[in-house]
Amino acid sequence: MFEFMRGRPHATGSHRLGKTSLLAGLKGSELNIVEGFLHTRHYLPGEIVFDQDEDGQALYVVLSGRVLICRPGHADTPIAELGAGEFFGELALLDDSPRSAQARAGEPAELAVLFRGDFERLMESHAQIASRIAMQLARHIGQRLRNMVALVPHEVRSQ
Amino acid sequence: MSRGQGIYHSGPVVWAATVASTCLLLYLFQKVLWLVVPFVLALVIYYALSPIKLRLVLAGFTHDAATGLVSAGAFALFVLGLVLVLPKLLTDAVAWQGAASRYIEGGVNLAMATLQHLERSVAMFAHARLSDQLAGQIAEASDGFARKYLAGIAMTVAAWAPSLLLAPFLAFFMLRDGWRFKKFLGQAVPNAFFERTLYLLDQMDCTARLYFLGLIQLTVLDTLCLAGGLWLLGVSGPLLLGLVTAVLAWIPYIGSILGCVLVVLVAATDFPGNPAVAYGAVGLFLIVRLLDDFIFMPLTIGRSLRMHPLLTVLMIFVGGAVAGVPGLMLVLPVLGVVMVQGETIGMVITDPRLRARHVHAKRLRQQVVTEDLRL
Repeated sequence: MFEFMRGRPHATGSHRLGKTSLLAGLKGSELNIVEGFLHTRHYLPGEIVFDQDEDGQALYVVLSGRVLICRPGHADTPIAELGAGEFFGELALLDDSPRSAQARAGEPAELAVLFRGDFERLMESHAQIASRIAMQLARHIGQRLRNMVALVPHEVRSQ
Repeated sequence: MSRGQGIYHSGPVVWAATVASTCLLLYLFQKVLWLVVPFVLALVIYYALSPIKLRLVLAGFTHDAATGLVSAGAFALFVLGLVLVLPKLLTDAVAWQGAASRYIEGGVNLAMATLQHLERSVAMFAHARLSDQLAGQIAEASDGFARKYLAGIAMTVAAWAPSLLLAPFLAFFMLRDGWRFKKFLGQAVPNAFFERTLYLLDQMDCTARLYFLGLIQLTVLDTLCLAGGLWLLGVSGPLLLGLVTAVLAWIPYIGSILGCVLVVLVAATDFPGNPAVAYGAVGLFLIVRLLDDFIFMPLTIGRSLRMHPLLTVLMIFVGGAVAGVPGLMLVLPVLGVVMVQGETIGMVITDPRLRARHVHAKRLRQQVVTEDLRL
């Protein structure tokens, strides 16, 4: 009940951010700037980060722990498992489309959250940093597309 | 929106709460006006300086160092301006009293000439003897004006000066700790409501930023239009007059009337034998007001508030009734912020899925902290 009165450690640590795939290309001073825009959240195993079909407002970077991407009610058969350094929910930064799956903590997880409004401000004030992040996002989405194509049977692809 | 929910629209309860909260806030603000005015000024300074601070942060400075540099620079500019302008202001101060009397006299002469012209042309006005009544009232008001009001005005200025000094102080801390404050507020929010609450904070910040930047843009546009028109009419000091009038327009209705009176006084004094110039100034003022209401305002402040025009007008009257002139000035930004807040709180508390997720998270937390207590 009195949780709101308790301060929580919130220093994300630019060195930890530099190890994540999203922000790996940024310099130290740039990471300091991005850190100013990030929020840190802690999740318990089983706790839902976001729901499928929910309006997406933020991208999440896994700083520690494990996050499961799954269909609602199928947490035991996740679509993907993400560990430290990986990120998810990136489509929320690009458009207003709803979340395509549910995200839930698989073990105690610490996540850094980049809110869409902050990313837009980052684009206005620090175009160089934002463009590097956007490039990483594009690479990530491209890789995912290639993976999906690879999963489609050869016969279907040739049709 | 969470699963199974349609697009959220505020219902009558949320709207009633928004209007009631706005009125309550305006009433409270009126009681602590000595704090509200410097806070609003600090917000204007903050939104003007924060892009420079962000540039410095990008250049490698820490938030604190960037804030220190920007604040020191702004203070140095202010002091420099003061050093350059103050001697001239002090020199001219004696002349101001004479100029003020001259402008008032010019305005009175215009009013008297207009009334006398009407009395000569219309029998009804001749019977009413309006010019005599006006002359009597002006004589009564000017007699002992200094004795009646000057002490009060001096006391008000003396009382307000220290609180206005709060503005740069508040602006400094907004620049230095504003980003930390947002994070701090975010920490207090449970995970289930976090994204939605962050959206609320962002929308509030966005509304306030757009409002104050819109106000600055509107003032520049008004100043340029009025200054251009007054320059064409040949009125003296068109830029200063345009700026003062545009700033006065920050107060809805009353500010516009004061601005118009000011323009007419100057025009009537500059051209004592030619009332057409003063009437031209009134015409110009009306044209700029129309431009302001129908073109400039929707392009600048209107963008930030996204409100129905009828509601805007009604709320301006309500603000005036609840909190007088401060209410007129503050009602729109306060309503804008409260509206966003009301919509988002309504969205959060009417979403059963978010509430269920919060309960689930609390249960998980409870399990973790009581795990070793079970027998």
